[in-house]
Amino acid sequence: TATAVRTCGFSFSGRYIMYTTDKTMGRPCEIHIFDLNDIRNGEPTMVIPISSSKITSAVWGPYEEYIITGHENGEICHYDLKSGDKINSCKEHSKQINDLQLSKDMSMLISASKDTTAKLFETATLGHMKTYKTERPVNSASLSPIYDHVVLGGGQEAMDVTTTSTKVGKFDARFYHLVFEEEFGRVKGHFGPINSTAFHPDGKSYSSGGEDGYVRVHYFDPSYFDFRFEF
Amino acid sequence: WEPPKPKPYHDVGNLRYFLQEPDCYDQFSVIYDGGDRTAIFKNTAREPVLIEERARWTETYIRWSPQGTYLATFHAKGIALWGGEKFEQIMRFSHPGVQLIDFSPCERYMVTFSPILSTQEDQQQIIIWDIRTGMKKRGFHCETQSTWPILKWSNDGSYFGRITPDTLSVYETPSMGLLEKKSLKITGLRDFSWSPSDNIIAYWVPEQQNVPARVTLIQMPSRQELCIKNLFNVADCKMHWQKNGDYLCVKVDRYSKAKKIDEKDQFKYSGLYYNFELFRIREKQIPVDKVEVKENVIAFAWEPVGSRFAFIHGESPRISVSFYQIRPGKVETIKTLERKQANHLFWSPAGQFIVLAGLRNMNGVLEFVDASDVTVMAQTEHFMATDVEWDSTGRYVVSAVSWWGHKVDNGYWIWSFQGRLLQKIQLERFCQLLWRPRPPSLLSIEQMRAIKKNMKKYTEQFEVMDRLRQSNVSTEILEKRSEMMNEYKSFRERATEEWESMKYRRLELRDGVDTDTLEYEENDEEIVEFLLKVEEVVVEE
Repeated sequence: TATAVRTCGFSFSGRYIMYTTDKTMGRPCEIHIFDLNDIRNGEPTMVIPISSSKITSAVWGPYEEYIITGHENGEICHYDLKSGDKINSCKEHSKQINDLQLSKDMSMLISASKDTTAKLFETATLGHMKTYKTERPVNSASLSPIYDHVVLGGGQEAMDVTTTSTKVGKFDARFYHLVFEEEFGRVKGHFGPINSTAFHPDGKSYSSGGEDGYVRVHYFDPSYFDFRFEF
Repeated sequence: WEPPKPKPYHDVGNLRYFLQEPDCYDQFSVIYDGGDRTAIFKNTAREPVLIEERARWTETYIRWSPQGTYLATFHAKGIALWGGEKFEQIMRFSHPGVQLIDFSPCERYMVTFSPILSTQEDQQQIIIWDIRTGMKKRGFHCETQSTWPILKWSNDGSYFGRITPDTLSVYETPSMGLLEKKSLKITGLRDFSWSPSDNIIAYWVPEQQNVPARVTLIQMPSRQELCIKNLFNVADCKMHWQKNGDYLCVKVDRYSKAKKIDEKDQFKYSGLYYNFELFRIREKQIPVDKVEVKENVIAFAWEPVGSRFAFIHGESPRISVSFYQIRPGKVETIKTLERKQANHLFWSPAGQFIVLAGLRNMNGVLEFVDASDVTVMAQTEHFMATDVEWDSTGRYVVSAVSWWGHKVDNGYWIWSFQGRLLQKIQLERFCQLLWRPRPPSLLSIEQMRAIKKNMKKYTEQFEVMDRLRQSNVSTEILEKRSEMMNEYKSFRERATEEWESMKYRRLELRDGVDTDTLEYEENDEEIVEFLLKVEEVVVEE
């Protein structure tokens, strides 16, 4: 590709792949879509140029009808696959979107933003449902496939911090209750900001990858599964 | 000429309404958003409750008046004072370019300073205003470099004084005229200060030729000299009055060697050592005690109510905090805490408790100490804290990371006086928190004693109220959560319907393979043995 690739992904059927390119060297940011059944000498099936704020994160919509994009200015949009039009958008975040992930049933979308919050949306409408607040930029957020739990990973960018607290391993993954937006747990251990989080499909463990070069795989102990919020 | 028409009476309401808060929650002001937003909060139990917030209320920073009656905001054109329940504008003062203000302790007068010298309007740099009427009472030009406040007020507002080279000028109010039309000529005068409780001035003069340095206390308006203390080998002095005016401490820097620099009247001092001269103001003829300190003193503070003082001394990394008590006849050391990370001392306004703080480059270490036996109650930290503020009752302490000092993690934390963390509040580009001061209590000493004696009775009432509030809050939270969960459940129902209805599509997309319930195949473990090799080894006899 002519410029750097920011995000990529397989569609639900695996038939399509998409990736987004960066806005540099005079070229606009673009979404490229390939039909794997119809690769015509490396040319994408569809190219959607993005003239507004560049894309910083993107995932496929549930049934391959649209791409969900997160932008540098905090906007989240839907781009229709067939026409390439922007068919929906919302601007709930004030700074760039670092990560977008869907829930297991794809009805909900969670966004992680540099504005120190993660937000939950209805995938189809981009209706804003919940907000999870922290004090550091959020680099990644994931939804548990079995519980109403959300995990956030983030941290201060290296260049913004001259010194950090002397406590090592201070970067933590934070667990919030999906509905009540309240934090109920933290897992320390990373020596640098966490860049990516993901729950295992069976929900019994999660993994986090960080700036420190480590991927940490965590298996939840019994107390995690017994934990209840009163309501 | 027409006689001026009487202006209609503008009722500002009860300016002291905040004292009647039924639960005794104190107010504090917060500037955040890099200075764009100013808000006033009430220090309520679980989280601060917003009372008033305005964007661009002030252009730089804000100040409360000494008794908490007014909130002063700064603008390019001058100062505005706000007060009352709705924080209405009480008065406006025009002083273009104003940078600093000071209030008289009685809140009758305000002094503003602007560096701008405007010849056309004959603007003076220092202006004294009458707060109630908004009238300009007197102005001064700023001749020499000084620290603010240049005009120092006596505690009841009857006098104010200022230093000009070799002169101490004392003025009286409300005429603003020079007391007895004459200033005091004091050659070499370096600094002066008023007692916080009486009309007594303390000033010091450095050594000149063969005349030793001295600290003098004089009574105003009589100008009677109450006490003179000669000091030898003095490089510098700093005066610290105890809040009740019972004691004055003068920290004296003494030198072993002094070298004169060229022809200027300046000296270079070396081999410095330190001591405190402690003046017992209430005793006859004001006796003075001397306390020697081996090391460099970083900070000094009197206990606001009482006869103790604490100071930080030493050089990093060996920094210590010492506590002393003034007793009749002698000054004794209570205890010294060694190897502390502290560069500031904050006594509770009610006395007895003190916070030792290592601010800014000491990374925000906080220690809460009970001075009655100098024990450390809590050792904590608020990383990169830049400020510490006690509320006026001495119940709460706030540690803050100001955006003006540190660009990330801005916000404030509220602690109990014992060092228990109560709340952590993060605010985008938080700059400054100031507690609203309270006027002195209207109760007499006997009344206060009576309340302390009957404390048990009041404690019972408070416990009942607290318990009620706790259970209320719990039910509130539970109700709120219940609501949120119900809302979410209805969303979930719709989502599940959608999921079921789209099953056909999922099958389509994945060529008929149902991946919805794909579980990992149960792996059966089977142990199979393979023959690898046969080896014959002869065992030796």
